[in-house]
Amino acid sequence: MPRNLYLRAAIGLLYGFLPIACLFGQGHRQPRPSPMANPFAEAGAKTFAQNCGFCHGNDATGSRGPDLVRSLAVNHDKDGDTIDPIVRNGRIDKGMPAFGAGTLSDQKLAEVVAFLHARTLEARRSAGVSSDYPLAKLLTGNAQEGKAYFDGAGGCARCHSVDGDLKGIASRYQPLELQQLFLYPGPTGAPTDRTAIITLPSGKTIEGKVVHLDEFSIAIRDSDGWYHSWNLKDVQIRLKDPLSAHRELLSKYTDDDVHNLFAYLETLK
Amino acid sequence: MIWPRMLIFRNLCFCLLLSVGLLAAQGLDPAKLLQPPTDTWPTYNGDYSGRRYSTLSQINAANVHDLTLAWVFNANSRALKSTPLEVNGILYFTVPNNVWAVDARTGRQIWKYTYEDKQGGDLIGNRGLGMYHNWLYFETPDAHLISLEAKDGTVRWNKQLGDPQLGYFATMAPLIVGEHVLVSVSGDVTDIPGYLESVDPETGDMQWRWNTEPSPGEPGSESWPRNSDAITHGGGMPWMTGTYDPELHLVYWGIGNPNPVMAGDVRQGDNLYTCSIVALNLDTGKLQWYFQPSPHDVHDWDAVQTPVLFDGTFDGKPRRLLAQGSRNGYFFVLDRATGEHLLTAPLISTNWASGIDQRGRPIAKLTKFPTPNGSLVSPGSDGATNWMAPSFDPQTNLFYVNARRMFSEFYLTEAGKAEGWAGRDRNLWSTSSIQALDYRDGKVRWSHSLGDGESVAGILTTAGGVLFTGDNSGNLLALNPETGNVLWHVNAGGNMVSSPSTFQLDGRQYLLTLVQGLMYAWVLPDSQ
Repeated sequence: MPRNLYLRAAIGLLYGFLPIACLFGQGHRQPRPSPMANPFAEAGAKTFAQNCGFCHGNDATGSRGPDLVRSLAVNHDKDGDTIDPIVRNGRIDKGMPAFGAGTLSDQKLAEVVAFLHARTLEARRSAGVSSDYPLAKLLTGNAQEGKAYFDGAGGCARCHSVDGDLKGIASRYQPLELQQLFLYPGPTGAPTDRTAIITLPSGKTIEGKVVHLDEFSIAIRDSDGWYHSWNLKDVQIRLKDPLSAHRELLSKYTDDDVHNLFAYLETLK
Repeated sequence: MIWPRMLIFRNLCFCLLLSVGLLAAQGLDPAKLLQPPTDTWPTYNGDYSGRRYSTLSQINAANVHDLTLAWVFNANSRALKSTPLEVNGILYFTVPNNVWAVDARTGRQIWKYTYEDKQGGDLIGNRGLGMYHNWLYFETPDAHLISLEAKDGTVRWNKQLGDPQLGYFATMAPLIVGEHVLVSVSGDVTDIPGYLESVDPETGDMQWRWNTEPSPGEPGSESWPRNSDAITHGGGMPWMTGTYDPELHLVYWGIGNPNPVMAGDVRQGDNLYTCSIVALNLDTGKLQWYFQPSPHDVHDWDAVQTPVLFDGTFDGKPRRLLAQGSRNGYFFVLDRATGEHLLTAPLISTNWASGIDQRGRPIAKLTKFPTPNGSLVSPGSDGATNWMAPSFDPQTNLFYVNARRMFSEFYLTEAGKAEGWAGRDRNLWSTSSIQALDYRDGKVRWSHSLGDGESVAGILTTAGGVLFTGDNSGNLLALNPETGNVLWHVNAGGNMVSSPSTFQLDGRQYLLTLVQGLMYAWVLPDSQ
């Protein structure tokens, strides 16, 4: 019995998460820990700033000395095999002094190597915006103006209510997810919440959620859960798409509208 | 008297051997690439023009609804993004790290070559092969160039094109022109410079290299900041196959976007020759002219899309033309002899430009650059179009391109000196269509919706009055190129992420469509 309970709890959790996961498609990922979130690399950052930052910049992107994030030696290094000799011997001809074990212990040098690898990894992973992107960066709009847009020009209040479906929405989603969600709440290309009323040649109508629609055929699931499909040439269809207003707004929004609306929705805790 | 006899005998033997050798050869004479593709599809785009137009008309508007399957080949692989070569009844095609030779009559595998990538290169895609006589050329995810024997897939040589430890990889289908194999590198995240190389078909030795960023002090270097390492880390990967004009002796190539990708502050200026179309001398690799569709790009809108070559009348004058449907959402027409700009027109609606400057380049709105709080931009970084093949049909005089109307929120995530991408956009909504553009005025003559989502299906047009492509619901489509109306469709079970091609074999026209890991060969029924 207890096993069964666990199973039920697991399924319940799964179902609980499923709608959110579906809504966000590719967006809802567990953020990867930063390469720098590693005590060894963190210690290396301090050592680097103290010993190397004056020439190479505290973040290793170069100053008087070269950018090390892009450096051949760092990118080819394995556990210090190319970095260690350069640090220990220096590059005297280029003005880089040698750092002997008296100045930089083996432990400290290993930390610096870990820091440099973490920096290159950070650059290589910079092609993404993680879902834990900080609120402070996003929250630049005016909530009052956002409310005015919500109730007025945006037309949001025609379908949504801050006391109803949007109540507490800012507590339910991470800031970046919330911004994406109100801009377009569907995974791109999916039929999502479209419904269709199909008129058959007999004049009979049948309504249901759209399962598939292309320029040749339509498929729906009716209120009893049964699947039906037709060739479009044989029937007439009327589509109801609750996302059409979101699509229309995409070409109307100014960036200020977006940031104001976000600031307003973020108040709905 | 013995000697002359022996000489005659030896000469006879030599001639006999030579003719047997010729009979046995299954190779490809580079001169074949100068002809319209009919019994062969000898290079990525079918011929040097990049038009993806076939003069074959056995399959035509009147009978295309009768198409039937000749065979299906299951590669059991990731999605096929290459365009197969067809030479002497054999198809040669790829996915990253893998090359197949398949019988074009039967769809049976002849051989398969698998490359062991010890360095873990980028597996994003591979566009196919180049062929020179009996040899094939193939780029690998860890940025090597490999030459194979076409008869059995054995390796002739393996040369390194770029340093994978620095972030180089390679995906392009090499282009063979005469005694040149044109190859290039790809890169994405790291700040590394791009280049295009010509190598010797026999040995793989470099003949010339053209760097996509000029050296400091050279013309074009003024478009980068001084006293900075930006120009030597500026990206610009020429990752798609170019085109060639044999009379002008010029090769045309589209160049990739600059790095850091989304952070322009550290590389103020136009950033030549990133996001440019360039004309290079085939023998020397010297730059003849350039045109830059996206100066100082910060949205990943490279200009690698095929520079399509055709001749036509523009403003009453006969011209040698070059047209590109560019990733930034604009259609460009140039004079390919001189690089003179003739026309810029939107290929789809976008929101990032405030107008067109005197040189024909869209003027970017600074307000649509990526920002920490997000900037709503159309199109997204995936582009209004991308690597899928466009087509020019000389019968309709229309240029066809698969276009996406899309919106994306662009975030600049890095502070300090930016490295790598330094930001990214998040896709919102997109919808796709085939746009038929008139090069004479830039007007969209017709538009055929492919449905919501980002299509990556390429286009083929033929003298049979048919345009082949695919939609976002897994349908293969044959459209009327004059009107965009559907002539034939079939649900192929997945979206096409490649470009269709065609050839004639044993008197029969074959149409090839690659859908995910499956290759379908279509023909007319035997009775026809």
